[in-house]
Amino acid sequence: MTPSRRSTFLPFALAVALLAAVLVPLRAGAMERNFAGSVQLDYHFVPTQPQANARGIGFDGFTTEAALKVTADISDHISANVKVCYGCHGFEMNMAYLDLRAADELNVRVGRFSPSFGSFNLRSDTANHRLSDKPLAYDMGRMLRLRTWNMGVLPSPFPDNGVEVNGTHWFGENVQGDYAVYAVSGFKGDSNGFDLDFEQSRSGSLYYVDNNARPTVGGRAALTLKLSPTSDMTVGASGMYGTFDPKNSLSYAIVGADLVFRFNRTNLRFEYLARRQEFDTSDASKLAYALAPTGGNFFVKHGAYGEIEHPVSKVVDVIGRVDLLHREGNVLRDLGLTRTSSVLRYTVGSTFAIERGFRVKASTELWQWSDRDGSGKNLDVGFHLAAVGSF
Amino acid sequence: MSSSAVWKRARALGVIAVVAFVGCVTNRSEGLDASKMPESVRPDYEVFAQRCSKCHSLARPLQSGIEDDAFWALYVARMRRQPSSGISMEDTTVILRFLHYFSEEQKRAKAKPSELLVAPAPAPAPAPLDASAPDAAEVAQ
Ligand code: HEC
Repeated sequence: MTPSRRSTFLPFALAVALLAAVLVPLRAGAMERNFAGSVQLDYHFVPTQPQANARGIGFDGFTTEAALKVTADISDHISANVKVCYGCHGFEMNMAYLDLRAADELNVRVGRFSPSFGSFNLRSDTANHRLSDKPLAYDMGRMLRLRTWNMGVLPSPFPDNGVEVNGTHWFGENVQGDYAVYAVSGFKGDSNGFDLDFEQSRSGSLYYVDNNARPTVGGRAALTLKLSPTSDMTVGASGMYGTFDPKNSLSYAIVGADLVFRFNRTNLRFEYLARRQEFDTSDASKLAYALAPTGGNFFVKHGAYGEIEHPVSKVVDVIGRVDLLHREGNVLRDLGLTRTSSVLRYTVGSTFAIERGFRVKASTELWQWSDRDGSGKNLDVGFHLAAVGSF
Repeated sequence: MSSSAVWKRARALGVIAVVAFVGCVTNRSEGLDASKMPESVRPDYEVFAQRCSKCHSLARPLQSGIEDDAFWALYVARMRRQPSSGISMEDTTVILRFLHYFSEEQKRAKAKPSELLVAPAPAPAPAPLDASAPDAAEVAQ
């Protein structure tokens, strides 16, 4: 073996030996695999906006979201998750990661995953949340006026390539602490972009490669307190920061705070998110307002929701939610937004368990916009009826 | 869209909603009926039902097809490590005890398809778990 061959062979052999050392404690053939998935078919009816889809206001009619996931425990310390989703953008790889766990307190996640942010992220699968659509702060294309608003603050899920170190620790029997820190490719947009481009950010057609070499970094910390054997509360804070343009000159920063209570089977959730978004100002004529001499190169988008989920029987759950998006700062000309725009949405809904693993979701939404649309309306009403199955 | 077309669609939605509602009157819930379990199992079921329904419905574990104790141990550990799971080590022991009971009941019901998933009376001794038992991975598929 030549010296150069030997120098590449040695680290390789070392890596194989390390991997073997982790895998050896396993009994032969012990790799455990599990398949899981979900399918949701939703019918969205917006009587106040006829032909909403054709007019670019939102997706009315039928939409399907489906997911298929394989989980494999390769050893006591290594597990793999791969999840493929089907939604409005066709098939996408939502998860393809390995968890390398030294202890509960130290897990290294590598691959493609949604980095830890906020409380909703864990429930972003359609089988895991009780209403047909997500809170506005996390909206990924189901909201009305989705193009005007360019969706929520942080459309969920937000799969990305990178590495996350996370862990959990119990302090006694009643207090659980969690943390996560990560570096991922980050959201993408054009050099002359005015906002994040969520399609570019998640689209498989761009081979999931980064558009700039600088990672987005972030983290989350949360504390869960058991208040009684059947109730607990969680308080959490999250943040991420990065650049989204190929030249690394335009930044975004997202912060979030969440507070969740669980009393028996009733969940009460509050979450707040805000994104400070820089944009390109080289062509000021595109903007609706004169460019401020300083600090005019960003807008801030706030999102918040309060939600209650309560089982009224073993079969029926009722859900009430109030959510808000609020945007402050300069805006593209003719977009239909002003320097301070907001939308409030009130939702009441219920889910009916038809069979184990099969539910019907029904909800009614009232939208209250600060800006009137072309026909002078600032109120909308929408209905959702969905069937969702998990397996 | 004319207002009559709007009402036609609203009526169609109404019909689906009524069908769904009627469906639920005759349905079974996503959890299990604790009253059909032996009394000694009920407190364990309550801990399982409380902890494992925090982030998703109970259908996820109950429909997973997992029937192997070792596989359940891995799964419950995985869920315990989820951020803010609220599942302590103490809970894990209780939950695994319930899942063992549930797996045995599932296997029994499979052997005699006419039997209820959760038997009202104490079950006859379940088939012993031995090395020749099918691997959980195969069962899950
Ligand atoms: C802190 C939140 C949380 C709790 C509590 C929780 N789970 Fe999960 N569970 C998840 C998430 C997240 C998923 C993955 C959802 C997805 O990807 O679609 C999941 C999925 C599952 C699945 C489907 C297979 C898979 O891996 O996707 C099973 C089975 C499951 N959980 C069992 C349990 C059991 C048993 C318990 C109680 C011991 C439990 N869960 C408690 C968050 C939780």
